[in-house]
Amino acid sequence: MIRLTVNGRERTYAAGPGDTLLELLRREGFVGVKKGCEAGDCGACTVLLDGRAVNACLVLAVKADGASVVTIEGVADGGQLHPVQEAFLDTGAVQCGYCTPGMVLSAIDLLSRNPSPSEPEIRDAIAGNLCRCTGYVKQVEAIERAAARMRETR
Amino acid sequence: MAVHQIEKVLRPRSVEEAWRSRLEDPGSSRFLAGGVDLVLYAPPSVTTLIDLAGLGVGGVRREGDDLVIGAMTTLTEVLEAPESAAAARGFLPGVFRQVASPLQRNVATIGGAVVRAHPWSDVVTALIALDARLEVFDGRTRSLSLELAREERGEPFPLVLAVRLPGAFGNAEAAFEKFSRTAFDVAVLNCACSLRRESGICRDVRVVVGGTPAVARRLPRAEAALAAGRVTSADIEAAARAAAEDVDARDDRRATGEYRRTLTAVGVRRCLEAIGGGRGESA
Amino acid sequence: MTRSFSVVGKSERKVDGRGLVTGRPLFVPDVDLADALVVKMLASPHAHARIVSIDTRDAERMPGVRLVMTHENTPATRHTTAGQGFPEPSPYDTRMFDTKVRYVGDRVAAVAAESEEIALRALAAIRVEYEELPAILSIDEARAAGAPRIHDEDDAKGIYDAARNIVADVDIDVGDVETGFAESDLVIETTCETQYAQHTPIETHVVLASLDAEDRLVLRTSTQVPFHVRRIVAQTLEIPIRRIRVVKPRIGGGFGVKQEVLLEDIAGWVALKTRRPALFWLTRPEEFTSSRTRHPMRVRVKLGIRNTGLLHAIEMEAISNTGAYGAHGLTVLANTGSKTLPLYNKAQNAHFFGQALYTNLPVGGAYRGYGATQGYFALETAIDEAAEKLGLDPIEFRLKNAIRAGEGSPIFEKLGEGREGVSQTVRSCELEACLRIGAERIGWTDRRKKRVTSGPWVEGVGMSIMMQGSGIPQIDMAAATLKMNEDGSFNLLMGATDLGTGSDTILAQVAAEVLGVPLEKILVTSSDTDLTPFDVGAYASSTTYVSGMAVQRAAEKVREQIFDVASPLLGESRDRLALRGGSVVGASGGSVTLARVCERAMYESDQFQIAATASCVPSESPPPFLANFARVAVDTETGVVKVLHYVAAVDCGVAINPRLAEGQMEGALVNGIGYAMTEEMQFSSRGRVRNASLFDYKILGARDVPPIEVVLVDSYEPSGPMGAKSVGEIGINGPIPTLANAIYNAVGVRLRRTPFTPERVLEAIRASRGLA
Repeated sequence: MIRLTVNGRERTYAAGPGDTLLELLRREGFVGVKKGCEAGDCGACTVLLDGRAVNACLVLAVKADGASVVTIEGVADGGQLHPVQEAFLDTGAVQCGYCTPGMVLSAIDLLSRNPSPSEPEIRDAIAGNLCRCTGYVKQVEAIERAAARMRETR
Repeated sequence: MAVHQIEKVLRPRSVEEAWRSRLEDPGSSRFLAGGVDLVLYAPPSVTTLIDLAGLGVGGVRREGDDLVIGAMTTLTEVLEAPESAAAARGFLPGVFRQVASPLQRNVATIGGAVVRAHPWSDVVTALIALDARLEVFDGRTRSLSLELAREERGEPFPLVLAVRLPGAFGNAEAAFEKFSRTAFDVAVLNCACSLRRESGICRDVRVVVGGTPAVARRLPRAEAALAAGRVTSADIEAAARAAAEDVDARDDRRATGEYRRTLTAVGVRRCLEAIGGGRGESA
Repeated sequence: MTRSFSVVGKSERKVDGRGLVTGRPLFVPDVDLADALVVKMLASPHAHARIVSIDTRDAERMPGVRLVMTHENTPATRHTTAGQGFPEPSPYDTRMFDTKVRYVGDRVAAVAAESEEIALRALAAIRVEYEELPAILSIDEARAAGAPRIHDEDDAKGIYDAARNIVADVDIDVGDVETGFAESDLVIETTCETQYAQHTPIETHVVLASLDAEDRLVLRTSTQVPFHVRRIVAQTLEIPIRRIRVVKPRIGGGFGVKQEVLLEDIAGWVALKTRRPALFWLTRPEEFTSSRTRHPMRVRVKLGIRNTGLLHAIEMEAISNTGAYGAHGLTVLANTGSKTLPLYNKAQNAHFFGQALYTNLPVGGAYRGYGATQGYFALETAIDEAAEKLGLDPIEFRLKNAIRAGEGSPIFEKLGEGREGVSQTVRSCELEACLRIGAERIGWTDRRKKRVTSGPWVEGVGMSIMMQGSGIPQIDMAAATLKMNEDGSFNLLMGATDLGTGSDTILAQVAAEVLGVPLEKILVTSSDTDLTPFDVGAYASSTTYVSGMAVQRAAEKVREQIFDVASPLLGESRDRLALRGGSVVGASGGSVTLARVCERAMYESDQFQIAATASCVPSESPPPFLANFARVAVDTETGVVKVLHYVAAVDCGVAINPRLAEGQMEGALVNGIGYAMTEEMQFSSRGRVRNASLFDYKILGARDVPPIEVVLVDSYEPSGPMGAKSVGEIGINGPIPTLANAIYNAVGVRLRRTPFTPERVLEAIRASRGLA
């Protein structure tokens, strides 16, 4: 058993010693955490672990014991979307949507530390999130737009 | 996919306890740092993990002139720490930014990187160029040169507590070149050069090439081509040529040995030119 | 040229976007799986072997194993996995499980168990005795005399010449090329070769099969072709179509690889046999080794040009490697000619011929571009060479020879999707504008003149043009149903398959436009074979054009019914009514809301459901056109090529949703740049994929992508819904020839084999300088 705070709610979860955080989260219904390669190559399973974006497939669940996890399900505030989510919708940065949860969380990690990222910094931040649909053009634009919006409302 | 063979995870509170656990059944246990490599590559025989999280061996700090990076420090923490940014005139962040992806750097530790020492490792190549030493424990605390660590015969490999970058290299001039297929990729070949100059004369030269596809090695003849000289373009050419001749370049699915030999010459030359054209000869 | 629209032409948010950005459980495996069995497949370790015996007893005895499947206990019907219209133009050369394996990764057996761990252990316990056979690992080996025969089964159908490993053979003539070449003043010949590449959707293939309360088989599956899945699974499992329901939820990308029925038969069989839900989800390595790939090809192009600068004869020969099975073998081959040669319709003599050959390598399938990508590499390379030889600017030479609005090409009629084509005249073609805009944005004139170098880096610019199509004329069929609700909203039910492309959104925009309502009044339900009318699915750049027209027609029928009801309410004749802002508006100024109209139809008098279904089978396939421009820098010491700027100006008719259309282009271009530069499946000498992972099969990430400018050039296609053509595939054809031509401009070497890895580029540079 491990203790995890997932999207603000702390409780204990059954975890086998060899389970990855990806498996645990999906099993527990956080299916917005996507499985794309199970090898850290695609970033579809990105979650925030104590605030930092990580490949959930590369983290043993036991390593997360006591940690705080944010999945895509925990990003919107009730019905109110996060500015990054809004910007993804407005710019057309979502196509199939399979990489979107991971991409959004990587962007949130970036913007939490760097409110005015340059384009190369944005590209760096999502370097581990592969997308086959968009060519990244609109996603970079979305993150720029979200950053601007978050700076205004700060 | 779950690492099905794992049966238990131990959480020692001290270095001694961790080492004792490791000795109990060396074949079936492994130290657990960030865990990235264990998730990806754990052999079927490994059933026990010994989590190092409780040992308090993380963080970046200065000790005198030395830079000490605790084994459990993530690559991101190294990248972001002001202390490491200062070393070798800002060399480390530039290298670490090219390692894997932020997602992996947020989990992978420097201890894991040096113990696993993947042949393509950018971290190992860069750290050897700065004469990194490993602080280890195997019943006693001692220090190993990273460069020579692979020759360590004992089994199991000692518990790495920290990576120490000697102060002598704190002010070294260093440069790094990585060749890869895409930006988020392991190196097809990487190389790092470092040197210190006194009155314009080159001291303590290091020419290191990794991903050949073997793990990083120094190339002594290339270093000799620069030693006690003024890093002239003739010296640089000689070093690049010697490096290309000496590098243990072989074929794998990422490149042929021949191409790697070409890259070695180009990489070494570009590193040295970057240094030569850098802060000049005053250091 | 522009029409005035109120919903069409606007970059509306995707109708399914909110659920996607909030991580709702929308994808196949996002439902409760607590009771589901896990299916795992045993893949062949041999490139070519006969299964002598297969012993599953140990596996079957393992606790938690519920079903072990082999050729001994499953239906033997020959079929094709290619999800194409019926009868499929691909051969019936596949069995659920066969007595022979034909590539490393081919199906040998499968297990359904209570957990993944148990399933994997059970697979390891299956003992298979193989008789290894000599393997064919290249098209040259396939063509060699005495080559082993890959398909020696006696029940296969539709193979052109199985004894010689020829899946398909195409040979069509226009005029007489031999005379044409003899009459030409300049003849250019070039041969280009493309590699094995994989689609790598970020979501791999996945299906969840279960039985509903009435024991019907429900397949919740990641597919581009739900109706073809239903038909092919019924055929394979030998059960009636009515016993199957296929549901396509959101899917994580396809690009053609999900136009293939790969997992549904096995998962369906497990559900039928065990009466338990069954989840079959390919791992990433399996997606590489056991799903589908792009057909590698060798394409030779010969051009005859007269002193006038006009093409006089074109010949294209394509040899396609279809791998171990013939899925899409014929049609991809045919498209290599049919989607490329009409572009240069000034050539009065044309010859296209070629073969698709079996090898013991992974199986080719549909992949965005579908043969045109391979064909354009050779064609646009040859055109570039010809322009240079003639001393003409490559743009000028292309313009002089390219098809224009009002013109046709005999190729349209001669060569279709694996059979004769359909004669057509191009109605909309803004290629000239695309070229002008693209040239301007890249700075063509200046950059062609001066050579920019910086140390070892040399810059160059290159360009290419192309066309694709919009659906398969007289074959594709789409249908849509609209029904009205009493608040003036409409349910749009359609078989069209949104695989992330945004088709649910743009098709709803078409309906909203006709019905004069904002987008949120259109409620989309798509791709459920029980609920929605038929649609062939998402392939061949068909959805916008074909499904879009079906939606437009359904909306127009509904509009007529609305007018029937509103006419007496407003006291206006039907021809004086219009739909605007959610109301029916009369020419005299009266208006009545749609809600009121529906209320009357539902509850008051002459009651009926306002609803209609309409279909579309297109009679033509209007091509979108594309002009590509790229600026590159080549490192002459390492062969590294950096793409500095890529401009793509495209004529796709009216872009129903400009941002989504741009997104189609941007995604296709980046996929194409990856295909040109890094992506390549590598094989061992025994036919095993050596880089079956995203770790070693490198697709581009955010840091690799150059500044990309997509320009949607103003255009209107009279035959299309709201003036639209399709745009899904064309972009992927651009990067290979464009970058090859740019590299040539930079360093003077022609690359004729993809991908243009640094090592290959360096080798070519050295060879050209006599250093090799």
